[in-house]
Amino acid sequence: MTSGIIFDIKEFTIHDGPGIRTTVFLKGCSMSCMWCHNPEGQSRQPQVIRGLAGERIAGKEYTAVELADLLNQQVDILRANEGGITFSGGEPLMQAAFVAEVIDLLNDVHVLMDTSGYGQEQDFRLLADRSDLVFFDLKLIDGPQHQHYTGCDNGLILRNLHLLNKMGKAFVVRVPLVPGVTDTSQNLADIVQTLSGLSGLLWVDLLPYNKAAGAKYRYAGMEFKPDYDESRELNLNTALFEQAGIKVTVV
Amino acid sequence: MNERLTTMMNRVRDGEHHSLRQDVPIEILAECEAGQLSWPKRVACLVRRQCEAERVIIEPDERIVFTRTLPGVPPVYSPEEWAQLTAGRTLHEFGPVSNICADWNLLLSQGLLGRKQVALATRGRLVDEHKTVEFLNSAVETIDAVLGLAARYADSAREKGRDEIADILDHVPAYPSRTFHEALQSLRLCLAVVWLSGNYHVGLGRFDQYMWPFLCSDLQAGLLTVDTAEELLAEFFISLNKDSDLYPGVQQGDNGQTLTIGGVTPNGDSAVNELTRMVLRVSRDLAIIDPKINLRISAQTDLDLLSLATELTRIGLGFPQYSNDDVVVPALVSHGYTLEDARDYVVAACRAFTIPGRGMEVVNIGAVSFPASVDHAIRVGLTAQDDFEGILKRVSENIDDQVHQLGEAYSRLLLPPAPYYSVFMEGSLEQGRDLSDGLKYINFGIHGACAANAADALAAVKQFIFDDFGISSGDLLSALEANFDGYEALRRKLADEGSKVGNNDAVVDTLLVKLFDNLADACEKYGRTSRGGTLRPGTGSAMYYIWLATGHPGMREPVVAATADGRRRGEPFSANLSPSLGARVRGPISMLQSFAKIDYQRIYNGGPITMELSDSIFRDTESIRKIAMFVRTFAQLGCQQLQLNSLNLDTLLDAKTHPEKHKNLIVRVWGWSGYFCELAPEYQEQIIARHYF
Repeated sequence: MTSGIIFDIKEFTIHDGPGIRTTVFLKGCSMSCMWCHNPEGQSRQPQVIRGLAGERIAGKEYTAVELADLLNQQVDILRANEGGITFSGGEPLMQAAFVAEVIDLLNDVHVLMDTSGYGQEQDFRLLADRSDLVFFDLKLIDGPQHQHYTGCDNGLILRNLHLLNKMGKAFVVRVPLVPGVTDTSQNLADIVQTLSGLSGLLWVDLLPYNKAAGAKYRYAGMEFKPDYDESRELNLNTALFEQAGIKVTVV
Repeated sequence: MNERLTTMMNRVRDGEHHSLRQDVPIEILAECEAGQLSWPKRVACLVRRQCEAERVIIEPDERIVFTRTLPGVPPVYSPEEWAQLTAGRTLHEFGPVSNICADWNLLLSQGLLGRKQVALATRGRLVDEHKTVEFLNSAVETIDAVLGLAARYADSAREKGRDEIADILDHVPAYPSRTFHEALQSLRLCLAVVWLSGNYHVGLGRFDQYMWPFLCSDLQAGLLTVDTAEELLAEFFISLNKDSDLYPGVQQGDNGQTLTIGGVTPNGDSAVNELTRMVLRVSRDLAIIDPKINLRISAQTDLDLLSLATELTRIGLGFPQYSNDDVVVPALVSHGYTLEDARDYVVAACRAFTIPGRGMEVVNIGAVSFPASVDHAIRVGLTAQDDFEGILKRVSENIDDQVHQLGEAYSRLLLPPAPYYSVFMEGSLEQGRDLSDGLKYINFGIHGACAANAADALAAVKQFIFDDFGISSGDLLSALEANFDGYEALRRKLADEGSKVGNNDAVVDTLLVKLFDNLADACEKYGRTSRGGTLRPGTGSAMYYIWLATGHPGMREPVVAATADGRRRGEPFSANLSPSLGARVRGPISMLQSFAKIDYQRIYNGGPITMELSDSIFRDTESIRKIAMFVRTFAQLGCQQLQLNSLNLDTLLDAKTHPEKHKNLIVRVWGWSGYFCELAPEYQEQIIARHYF
């Protein structure tokens, strides 16, 4: 029996895919994006969050059966409302075997994987195979920059993106717009170029930068140290995508 | 909204018309005493004198008139006489009949003269029955007074060259309304006089049913377009906000000026019509506090209507409140309401159900304090080394006793006569009987308050003392006694690791259901009150969630100190059906699933599941539709009532520090909406605390 670590289960996450959804946040991520808005999802270990309403522990271990039982209590409702279960994080790929087992135990329901794409190919394949839809994050195409802002190389990510397309899966690419970092015309153009010709791509979601994320670091006892100017106006250049025939929305 | 309405709304919001008010209430005691009048005659005298003393106010751009100028309702007895009259009796709240709903269709379809004819005919038939004749004479006196007031308004309008208003008032409220405009004017005036009579929490009933025939025929005849009709409706809604600061209530805004829309017709067909949608649209566009909107839905209600309703929720007024016909109608039927009447139910004022024109029900005689029952049982039971079953037995005995006490008190209920209000009740004039002597339905409602905290406390005792022995009963008792001072680790265990209502968790939800079953058992046992009605158990908390935590003279039960769910002394309880404040829950679906377990065929007095949604959720058409689906899910799961709020925590916090910047910020409190900056601090804090998790 596999077990995994979850840092939150949130219901009625209506912006995490079609219909009414419940999102499972897997704890642990190999990336360390400077703008990460779920810093409590980075470490695999449970940790204390000190918020306005007191302390709580983020991170709880579940067996696959426990989690699936919990989710199965409401899959009928989710299905009736055009929705399903979203696996997000942290990074689901880091607990791929666990997530796969949970999905296999779920009653019939729409499954969405929300991933950075940063994981081993066999793990990616394991979860993509079991997902009805994939939300795939793309941050920076330039390798050294990607390394600088996220702490890891994007080669694996780009390979998984093409693998996903080859698998014939429907997917949405989500780009977090970080002022002066990911929203540069150069990066957006690189993204457009990377995506052109990918037949499985449904559309691109641009996610405008959220300044509130910084506060969560304090609550998690972590330090938030962006080396970019948070207050800079975002470059919401949707035209670049539209010109290339790629459907784009600002979320 | 056009400029005329915007100006009108701003004037009302800023209270510019307050300067037109008279300084002091009129005085009528001398007249009452000189004539040695009976109680009904005194109330009739009150209504007549209030109508006579009203000054005519016709503002330049108004098309629906009446602005109240009298600041208060004078007493009809001296304090000494009043004390004598009420000795040994129970008065409900402030005394006068409140929290019921007239059948406004009687006014619109018969006119006041038609009602007067009914009264005179009955008087002719029952001429020898003194009490009957006295009541009917009193009712006729009030009808004449209102007609006099309308005539003065008509004359003044004519003098000012405001012929449209004069023409309308020449016809209504005396005669049956012929148009939507006349119906609105008639209702505005006659409703306002109910408030002037001292009655309060005056419900507006099934507005989209009794108003629709007038609107429909005007639209068909080309007298109105949808736009011009909306403008009239908007003006009517604005007019309901003119005098609301003069209405009595526990907190400003708690005035029960509620209308109910949607649902089914007495035949069981869908009652939704164009006016249903128009009410939602106009309320959304005005974003004004009155009237409060209640929408009756079922599992079959279409998503378009629910989406429109969600757009109203989005603006943050805390309504519409939803009631589920699939649950409410059969519950009423199984407790003695006829099917046709049950299908005609409305929300009386805040959340409890009644039948317009047919219910002289006291829908909220009080609340059973579940935390007090549970806390008492835990402290006494653990000291006596009870097993868990023994503790549960003490809980049910205590609930039984609380219901018994409340029922006893209300067996001595004294309702003042209301000859004017009776004009709009079915059978009152026909039988010559004041509504305070009873209508077709005369039940009482009792709510079970703060159930989530109580169930959480019981679950904690079950889990930590009887199941896994993680906490000793001695430690728990000492910790409760010490208000958890020096027991923080234990408190955290109770608060964080216990099973909590709102997570669809069988351990605690079973106890939640049990509390309400106990309440239903007690109500069935002590039902058939002295007035002949039943006791209807409900799930509302009204103001008790604050009173129970801080103490209040209106509360029979003691203040509950620290509780076994990890709550410290003085911390508020949760309102209505919602998880304990501070309890971490996964979200709205599990909440619905938890509360769906309550047996609403036995617990049928109303009381909403109360939820706050961040305003960021209401982002676009797609998210609005998902929220509409959620509302439909509430009905599909068989829950009874739902109140959704859209709120922004930062705004609330800012309003605490800078109230001057947020004077129009409206929030849902318990079964009603109020201006945040006009609420007492403990109510403000409770609302803020609801948002931290």
